[in-house]
Amino acid sequence: MRLRSVLTVGASLLAAVVLQTTLFSQTEPFIPDVVMLVVILLCLTRIRPELLLGIGFLSGLAVDLLGSAVLGLQAIVFTIVAYLAIRTKDRADVGRIVTGLWAGMMTLAGVVLLIVVGTLFGQSVLLGEGVVDRLFLVPLTNFILALIVAPTFVRVVDRDSTAFRYA
Amino acid sequence: MVTRQPGDRTLPTLITLLVIGVLLMTFDIRSEGGGVTGVLRSGTQTIVAPLQKGAAFVVNPVVDAVDTLTNLASLREEVRALEAELAEKEAELVAVQDDLAILEFYEQLYELEATGSDLGRTPAQVIGQPEAFDGALIIDKGSSSGIVVGQPVIDTSGYVVGSVQQVTSGTATIVPITVGPSGVAVTVGNQIGTVLPQVTTNVMRLTLDNAQEPVLRGDRVVTSSGSVRFPAGYPVGQIVADVAPTADALTAEVEPFVQPEALRVVVVLAWPPDPITAITPETTTTTSSTSTTIPGEGSSTTTSPEDDG
Repeated sequence: MRLRSVLTVGASLLAAVVLQTTLFSQTEPFIPDVVMLVVILLCLTRIRPELLLGIGFLSGLAVDLLGSAVLGLQAIVFTIVAYLAIRTKDRADVGRIVTGLWAGMMTLAGVVLLIVVGTLFGQSVLLGEGVVDRLFLVPLTNFILALIVAPTFVRVVDRDSTAFRYA
Repeated sequence: MVTRQPGDRTLPTLITLLVIGVLLMTFDIRSEGGGVTGVLRSGTQTIVAPLQKGAAFVVNPVVDAVDTLTNLASLREEVRALEAELAEKEAELVAVQDDLAILEFYEQLYELEATGSDLGRTPAQVIGQPEAFDGALIIDKGSSSGIVVGQPVIDTSGYVVGSVQQVTSGTATIVPITVGPSGVAVTVGNQIGTVLPQVTTNVMRLTLDNAQEPVLRGDRVVTSSGSVRFPAGYPVGQIVADVAPTADALTAEVEPFVQPEALRVVVVLAWPPDPITAITPETTTTTSSTSTTIPGEGSSTTTSPEDDG
């Protein structure tokens, strides 16, 4: 991974964290999980899979450190989501809608996992009012965002203008 | 569905990271958020806080403008309702001022000294939430404004919001009582109990262990002088439906007065003003926010924060 890619990925994740905690915390009911979306979309790039898992883990850890739930919870969830995304990304490069649906499905897997693991570890802070609605609205919002930004994001990170042209 | 090429190391990497994650969770739970993990949280929040504040400075006016435009139709009705509410509150205020005059008279008569009225209050703006599922709130004031972990947080009307969980020099994280792991000691009338958050709803559960009387719909639930987390007399919510005690126990639902996700401004209370006196309630004498117990006389008075005027 080149320095430029490292900076692009770092800046994307930092921007995602800042936007998630400020702008997107006020867009009820359509609140996305932008950090998770960035991790999922990074799996569509040419970054090495092992590195992607590390990026997923560190991104989740950053979210954990800024949140009030137990440390390591989002790190685990993001790592598993990154693994699922790496294993299924071949099916995403078919068309814009399929890419969006794939990102939405990955997000759904992530939020379900978050609720399940969070419940097992007694994290009541994750189970407030509207948790069931958010279980579906977060993946839906991520689907819409992926639909809009996925191809451009991959092209910028890979510095390849031909990527994701859906020929 | 899943493709895997021979020789790739993603699975061992995944397992390693999962093990590290579980270890981190265990360590964080065992250290109760303190120690190394507490320092890590503080450090990360300190780094990100200026960016969050900058983003909130730009984003909040835009969100407010969009909110105003989308709610334009209902604004007139809302203004009318607020005007009616204001008139009602002004009438209540006159009554409260009378009560305050009487209270002041009795305080002078019995030579009581108010010590709770000088609670430090730090108003702070809510700048966001950590993530989509995290019910905590991030505010724009931190330890440089005198905020410390554990301090109670109320809204601008004096209703209980939650308590401070994490603090950096410029920000703090508030965990609302509706999602927090701990209950709140409360009183309903003259009965003492605990309210606890419930999963997937903001409605809380009230438990009275030595219930003698039923609780009625609309009864106010306020923080108890027995609470170690909140000063006494602050409103938490109201009873949702009439419930009679079964044997000595009573369980009822409480609708909190505060919707944390809708808050823009909160107030952090510098409480307890003196942690040593806070754990020896028999010797404390306060008026505005905690109960007043007169040793030897066995009488006590409790006033709510609205009585502060």
